[in-house]
Amino acid sequence: MGTTVTGYHANVWQHFRAPRNAGMFAPGTPGVVSGRAGNAQHGREVEMALRLDEDARILECRYRVYGCPATIALCSLASEALRGQPLAAAATYSVLALAESLRLAAEKRAAALVVEDALREAAAGYNGPLPPYAAATVQAKQV
Amino acid sequence: MNDKVIYLDYAATTPVDPRVAVKMAACLTQEGLYANPASAHTPGRNARGAVERARSQVAALVNAQPGEIIFTSGATESDNLAIKGVAHFYKDKGRHIVTARTEHKAVLDTCRQLEREGFEITWLKPDADGLLPPQRVTQALRADTILVSIMHVNNEIGVAQDIAAIGRGTRARGVLFHVDAAQSAGKLPIDLNMLDVDLMSFSGHKLYGPKGIGALYVRREPRVNLEALIHGGGHEGGLRSGTLATHQIVGMGEAFALAQAQLAEDAGHVAALRERLWRGIHELVPEALLNGHATQRVAGILNVSFPGVEGESLLFACCTLAVSSGSACNSATREPSYVLRALGREDEVAGSSLRFSLGRFTTAAEVDAAARIVGEEYRRLKSLAA
Repeated sequence: MGTTVTGYHANVWQHFRAPRNAGMFAPGTPGVVSGRAGNAQHGREVEMALRLDEDARILECRYRVYGCPATIALCSLASEALRGQPLAAAATYSVLALAESLRLAAEKRAAALVVEDALREAAAGYNGPLPPYAAATVQAKQV
Repeated sequence: MNDKVIYLDYAATTPVDPRVAVKMAACLTQEGLYANPASAHTPGRNARGAVERARSQVAALVNAQPGEIIFTSGATESDNLAIKGVAHFYKDKGRHIVTARTEHKAVLDTCRQLEREGFEITWLKPDADGLLPPQRVTQALRADTILVSIMHVNNEIGVAQDIAAIGRGTRARGVLFHVDAAQSAGKLPIDLNMLDVDLMSFSGHKLYGPKGIGALYVRREPRVNLEALIHGGGHEGGLRSGTLATHQIVGMGEAFALAQAQLAEDAGHVAALRERLWRGIHELVPEALLNGHATQRVAGILNVSFPGVEGESLLFACCTLAVSSGSACNSATREPSYVLRALGREDEVAGSSLRFSLGRFTTAAEVDAAARIVGEEYRRLKSLAA
């Protein structure tokens, strides 16, 4: 897809106009881990929440986001990409690579890093049992 | 232009009034006033007659003498000619200039250039409502001050400075006073016969005239001297060389004449719509903050901050509105408006501001739709962050 008149890739524009999976889980929802990154005073703040099944697989990814269109779209795209993935995917998923594939301008790459940081923190917040492959990845990332 | 977009950016530029376009077209082709106004032959004299008529029209709007109007390429050039022209001519008298931090970049960057040339600039800070108390200007004057440059109406927030009082202070001290009136000419009454203003900049395209044409008022009594920026041919009394652009000048003259004829009508129309827009926005977004003084202002500009949503997202979400943002969102570092920052707004709030500017062709249906769109998109973005 091409670039819109706003300068954003059409995919970014679509997810900004109609973000998927926005909004947090109801308080007390079981199996939810979350992580937060960024700061509204600095232009963007993201909280990512992952609802996991007993095998630590991501059933659903939701988020709160304050930021530019790129930040909002990346949250939406990442939330779609991670659904059905093992928790380890949240710790290794490269939002930066996603941003590059969407041809986001260099100054917008910081948005990708904030979304990534929130996902990493969410993954690190899991303290339940993990399948061995997932545990190794999460621990490696925490170091 | 896409007819689905609601144009509320009249402070950036205006469409040419169709009555102006007709006059301009008559200066372009073989049947019209295409000749060089500097030529001595009959077609040239006819073109010069049209130029001089336009000069009188521009002068009449601000109660100046036609001989005090110099045509330029726009308000930016007028600001440059006024400020650099005074600085270079009077540099032996003094090298100190006073201006404000909320001026247009055409003034700020010109003053910065003079700083590099060894001039000293005092950058005054307005109050939180955007107004500059005249005594603050007077207090900044020194024995070596040669010029004060303060805009009449601010292009971002629309507040109108008390140029009458500032002028009295500068005149009493023998300091020249330049006013950028790009946003006020034709919007607020200006009587240069009653004001102690020595130089005033005007723009054609902010007032339903064409782009690429402006003017500088240069007072003759007491006389103001300038050093020219552009040399070659001695046009415009030696202050601005270059073949006169008859069609642009005629367009500006006609636009200024129309503005004079319908100033009260335009101002009343725009003021009512601006109030309607603000009421509509405030009803849907009670958190919205009005930037700039509530009453000492031009009718057509409404600058509003929307706390809790990010500025670029709000601007892009309202993509069916042609409005301006309070932040330079495509710059490498997200830079909120320097005007709103100078007023003391926090970066986050300054960055989430939108400037709506209304004009002669704006309708009630457009402002109602704009308020609804902004309200809906604000709620949507706010809910994403909640």
